Amino acid sequence: MKSDTMTVRAATFTFLASVFAIGFATLAARLKVEQVDRVAEHRGRLESQSSRIVQTAGLRGRILARDGTVLAGNRRSLVIAIRPESFRTTLKDVPAILEAVARLRPLVGRDPSITERSVERHLKYEIACPMPVWTDLADEELARFEEHYDEYPEFDCVSEAERVYPLGAFAAHLIGRVGREFATAVNGNRTVNYAEKELVGREGLERQYDLYLRGKPGEEHVIVDATGRVKERLDAADGVAAVNGPDLRLTLDVGLQRAAEAALSGWCGAFAAIDPRDGSVRALASAPSYNLNDCVPVLREETYAALTNAPGNPLLFRAVAGQYAPGSTFKPITALAGLGAGWRPDEKYTCEGVYRMGQGFRLRCTSWSHGSIDVVEALKFSCNPFFCNLGMQSGTGAVVRAARAFGLGSRTGIDYPVDAAGIVPDGEWKKRTQGESWYPGNLAQMSVGQGFLLVTPLQMARVAAAIGSGRLAMPRINSGVPPETVALPFPKAHLDLVRKGMEEVVYGSGGTGSRAGTGVAAHVIGKTGTAQVGSRELGNRRLVVWFIAYATPVETSKYREPLALAMTFTHRRTPGGGYETLRGEHDGGGTLVAPLVAEILRKVYGEVPK
Amino acid sequence: MKKFLRRFNWISFLSTVALVVIGALVLASAGDARGSDTVFASLWKKMVATAGLGFVLYFTFAILDYRKVLDYLAYPSYAGAIFFLLLVLAVGSVQFGGRRWLWFFQPSEISKLCVICCLAQLFGPAEERFRGQFGFKGFLAAAAIIAVPSVLILLEPDLGTTLTLVPAVGAMMLVAGVWRKGLVVMLSAGTVVAAAILLAVSIAEDEDANAESREKAMSCVKAILKDHQVKRVKTFVTPGEDELGAGYNLHQAMMTIGSGGVNGRGYMKGEAVRRRLLPPMGVMNDFIFCVWAEEMGYRWSLALLGLFAALCGSVAWTAVVAGDGRGVMMAAGMATLLFAHVFINIGMSLGLVPITGLPLPFLSLGRTFLVTIMCGLGIVQSISIHREEKTE
Repeated sequence: MKSDTMTVRAATFTFLASVFAIGFATLAARLKVEQVDRVAEHRGRLESQSSRIVQTAGLRGRILARDGTVLAGNRRSLVIAIRPESFRTTLKDVPAILEAVARLRPLVGRDPSITERSVERHLKYEIACPMPVWTDLADEELARFEEHYDEYPEFDCVSEAERVYPLGAFAAHLIGRVGREFATAVNGNRTVNYAEKELVGREGLERQYDLYLRGKPGEEHVIVDATGRVKERLDAADGVAAVNGPDLRLTLDVGLQRAAEAALSGWCGAFAAIDPRDGSVRALASAPSYNLNDCVPVLREETYAALTNAPGNPLLFRAVAGQYAPGSTFKPITALAGLGAGWRPDEKYTCEGVYRMGQGFRLRCTSWSHGSIDVVEALKFSCNPFFCNLGMQSGTGAVVRAARAFGLGSRTGIDYPVDAAGIVPDGEWKKRTQGESWYPGNLAQMSVGQGFLLVTPLQMARVAAAIGSGRLAMPRINSGVPPETVALPFPKAHLDLVRKGMEEVVYGSGGTGSRAGTGVAAHVIGKTGTAQVGSRELGNRRLVVWFIAYATPVETSKYREPLALAMTFTHRRTPGGGYETLRGEHDGGGTLVAPLVAEILRKVYGEVPK
Repeated sequence: MKKFLRRFNWISFLSTVALVVIGALVLASAGDARGSDTVFASLWKKMVATAGLGFVLYFTFAILDYRKVLDYLAYPSYAGAIFFLLLVLAVGSVQFGGRRWLWFFQPSEISKLCVICCLAQLFGPAEERFRGQFGFKGFLAAAAIIAVPSVLILLEPDLGTTLTLVPAVGAMMLVAGVWRKGLVVMLSAGTVVAAAILLAVSIAEDEDANAESREKAMSCVKAILKDHQVKRVKTFVTPGEDELGAGYNLHQAMMTIGSGGVNGRGYMKGEAVRRRLLPPMGVMNDFIFCVWAEEMGYRWSLALLGLFAALCGSVAWTAVVAGDGRGVMMAAGMATLLFAHVFINIGMSLGLVPITGLPLPFLSLGRTFLVTIMCGLGIVQSISIHREEKTE
């Protein structure tokens, strides 16, 4: 009995013990596989799982004018930032962070620039980076925070670079603006897990040269835990230091730009000036304008809405984006087309004060009658019938070819994000866009710079430059861009004739643009323009007034370089702050624009006694 | 006193002490890894205090004659366990996805010991002479005893507790000679069902199989298991997939264990543990073994397994020397319960067993379970001490 019991018990023990033994042996065997055989694999995966690369931004390069004047620079903004890794409650992070911020708020004394959503977003995408809570600390705010620094271990004071525009509204359109956003990985194919928010060019030169100005991003290597919080920031030696962006040196002349902006105040209009020798942009101004510092550190929705709805559309950069009928400033091109098509330099045409053609096409001249005049006189008086006739004689092809030889109808190639092409219409273009055939009247209109023809002020400055220098230059605003010019396909004799006509415009007795040369210590040739746009039937008939000029320094000139420029107005500011169209009897390029061009040139080249 | 010392199961006691010490150490490290200023960092102190209470109960039960303890307590404690299990379902507090808590303790943990005691009291007295008398009726009685608390525990829901009770009760019934043939049949059937579930899930997960059979397999699985359980089985069948979803914890656990290597990272220096790959309550409960494995390495992990083996073995040995059938059954039940906990918990961390919430005795944070286990071991010690003198 007893022995039987013992046998049963022994069997029980044997059974249990062998089950246990098998179990423990299985565990031990598996443990060996994981801990002995696969150590390297596990450790490798652990490392790759927990190391992260944070991309750091370099300081954005400055934008400098030709003489080194800082147009866009950086300033230090002190920021109280929260370190996400100091919160460990995982699910309750957002409320915990908001609570910590609320605790610090009385000390700082103003509302933080974060919302529940922005915190969530930061934790989701940028948990390895400090999150700015209060930006742009004033000295006393910083002092208050530092005094109690130890009581708020979750917060740090860091400095951020903010964009600043020392000259405010100066060249606002040209410089453009920046935004702060998550940078795209610009360092090739490297996997970057997190990136600091950095300044990114949104418009203008800031956008055009964004990658240049940004420099090379750096890398910081961090070890994170399973929730992505930074556990350890590795030594700088493991990462790559960010390289600051280089400065961008422009060809812009501060004096000229300032004079142009002053002359433009009170108008809707634009001014463009280039160095005719190499296309260097010396001024690009547009009115009305706005203050760049209203757009930093961020362009607020209200600011943007106000600018969008403001009278005169200050956001439009008219110098490169505004497309207008060139009016009589186109006549030098028609002249060259005609001369190329066989019009003799001394050949005369009798102006009777109006140009008639076919059934009812009439185009008035600027005067009762100019009588019998040659091409030089026609330019001097800006005779409409003469150029209508000349255009008709030369044919559409010749006028269009001449216009295109001056770069009209296509982008100028300027290193700038906005570069409107304008329109040089021909039969094919009209068929395609208007669905109508090309009529002789269209050619007559185009010959005097009206009709469908559209140009930008920059294009016209380039036309002036090409007439003066004989070569068409590609405009460039960055002094580092190599100049590019091509010879005009016109004989020198023809160009000289046109230059003579344009000289007469300024200096000849009765020239339409005589006011442009008044008191200017430089030799100026130019052409006025007064384009009639809109139609009387629609009741939107209005004027676009122009002056293009080519100025060369004389002995007494302060400024020693030639300049080609174009200036145009479309609206005049009313005392009420709005803008009215130009439609008056005496409104014209010669009366409105030429005196202001002279004013600008006097500021640049200096004055001579009248 | 001499008798007490001679019959005292020193292996069982010393391995218990060693495991309690290891438990405190490993919890201190796991808590520190969450940050020394967090609530987790001081949890080990509470566990040490609880272990102190556990040792008081251990010696109390060891000194008391287990027969009297069973006579007085077995049935009332079973009834009490059922009462508390009902109460917890009614008013218990929910934590970590289950309604398991009543004030400061988890009735399901205590009920494990109560079921074992109850079965021992029921079948034990008759074991020696009337072996084999418990046929199918005995089986039904045993099945009823385990079924009531099991169903209540499953309702919480707590699959793990039920999983450990089944082998413990099975072993006890085998020892008691309850319907052996039936048990063997059921064991085989259970194995077949488990295998079938695994097969069905692997078919459902097999992308090469045709859609119809996959769907069929999936619907079969869904009929038996809940969604989160299906996920866990899936993770077990195809561990590589879904590393950020259901497989996340397993993947991180194995990486934590594996990166320890032969020598370990050093106490309180576990890289993976300190990077907090596992959620705090996971690493202090179900995956506590990972902390020890990573920080102490392969050799000390084997040592820990050895300690558990020594404890299970010595408790099982008590069944051999026990004075009566109740002692045999108690010891066999406790040994199997311990073994099931250790095997399922560590096997889970190593990807050998589907993931199910289950504490590792002495190491996991869980004061009810610690006290329960120590009471059970105290009773087993009593079996060793109060066994009949063998005739020389």
